[in-house]
Amino acid sequence: MVEEQELVIALKTEAEKESAFRELVSQYKERLYWQIRNMVLDHDDADDVLQNTFIKVFRNIDSFKGESKLHTWMYRIAANESITFLNKKARRNNVSIDNVKNNAVRKLETDVYFEGDQLQLEFQKAIATLPEKQRLIFTMKYFEDHTFEELSEILETSVGGLKSSYHIAVKKITEFIKNHNETL
Amino acid sequence: MEKNKNIPNFKTPKNYFEDFEERLFSKMAEENFPKSTGFKLPKQYFENLDVRILKEVSLSEKPKKVIPLFPRKYFGYAAAIAASLVIGFTLFNTKVEISNLDSLQLAAIDTYIEEGNLNLDLYDVTSYIENEDIANIDLDAKYFTDSSLKEYLFENIDTETLIDE
Repeated sequence: MVEEQELVIALKTEAEKESAFRELVSQYKERLYWQIRNMVLDHDDADDVLQNTFIKVFRNIDSFKGESKLHTWMYRIAANESITFLNKKARRNNVSIDNVKNNAVRKLETDVYFEGDQLQLEFQKAIATLPEKQRLIFTMKYFEDHTFEELSEILETSVGGLKSSYHIAVKKITEFIKNHNETL
Repeated sequence: MEKNKNIPNFKTPKNYFEDFEERLFSKMAEENFPKSTGFKLPKQYFENLDVRILKEVSLSEKPKKVIPLFPRKYFGYAAAIAASLVIGFTLFNTKVEISNLDSLQLAAIDTYIEEGNLNLDLYDVTSYIENEDIANIDLDAKYFTDSSLKEYLFENIDTETLIDE
C-alpha cells in the first residue's frame, strides 16, 4: 500500500496524478462508500455521492495544504457531500429533510439491496430520527468504529462534544426502539 | 463509605467519574443494537469504480458539443428579421429600459440559489479564494451592531447543534 504522503505528492504531479488517483480510489472506496450509505441509505444515491466525493478530491487536490491527513480530508468531504445531497433532494422535491429521510427508510422495506431483519429496519428508522450531524457521528462511530479523536479531526468538533452527542444519540435510539418494539 | 487507606498514585482523566454512568448505560444500551446494517451491494460494484470515476471527471471537464438550434440555411432569414426588428425598434421606440445587474431583484437571486441552481459548495468556493483574499477582507465591527448580531443569531442559529454539543 502506498503511503499517504507519497500519494499526495503523486496526486499533485501531473504525470502521476491518474495512477495515484486509481490507488487512492482503491484504498478508500469501501470505507467512504459505507460512511455515505449509512447516511443516504439507498445504494444508487450512495454511488452518486461516492463518485462526487472522489471527483471533488481529484479536482481540489492542489488546494489540499496537508494541514490535516488526506483521509481525514476525504472523510470530511464525504460527510459534507452526504448532507448536501440530502438537502438538495429535499429542496428539489420541495419537502423537508425529515421527509426525505423517512421516505428513504420506508423504501428499505422493498429495497433489493437491503436484507436486514425487522430489528435492523427499526434500527434504521430510529437512526433516521436523529439530526444530520448526530446521525453522522453515531453511524461513523457505531458502524465504522472511528475513535472520537478521529471523528474530532474529521468533523472539526471537540471530543467532549462528540461523546455527549453520541450518548444522546444512543439514548434516543434506545427510546425509539423501546417504543416500537417491546421485546428489546 | 470508608475511603481506601492506600491510594495508588494513579490519576484519572478529568470528569472521569462524573460521566461514568452515562457512558456505562450507553454501552449497555448499545449491546442490544443490531451489529450490522443489513445493507447489500450489487455484485462487483467496487470493481472498475476508479475507471468510472475517471470517466466522469473527464466527461465533466471536456467542453460539451454544441448542437446548433437552427441549421445554417436559416441564418440568412434570421439575420434579415433581426436587422429589421432592430431598425424598427430604433425608429419607433425611444423609451428603452436598460437592464443591468442592479435591476435584478435580490429576492430573485436568493430564490435562484435556494433552489439549488447555483451548483457551488464550500469546496468549489474555497478553490477560488486565496489566503491573501481572506486576510484582506475588511471586517469592520462598526458594520455589525449588537442588535443586528442578536437578530442574526436568533434567526439563524441551529439550537439543536448547540444543545447536542
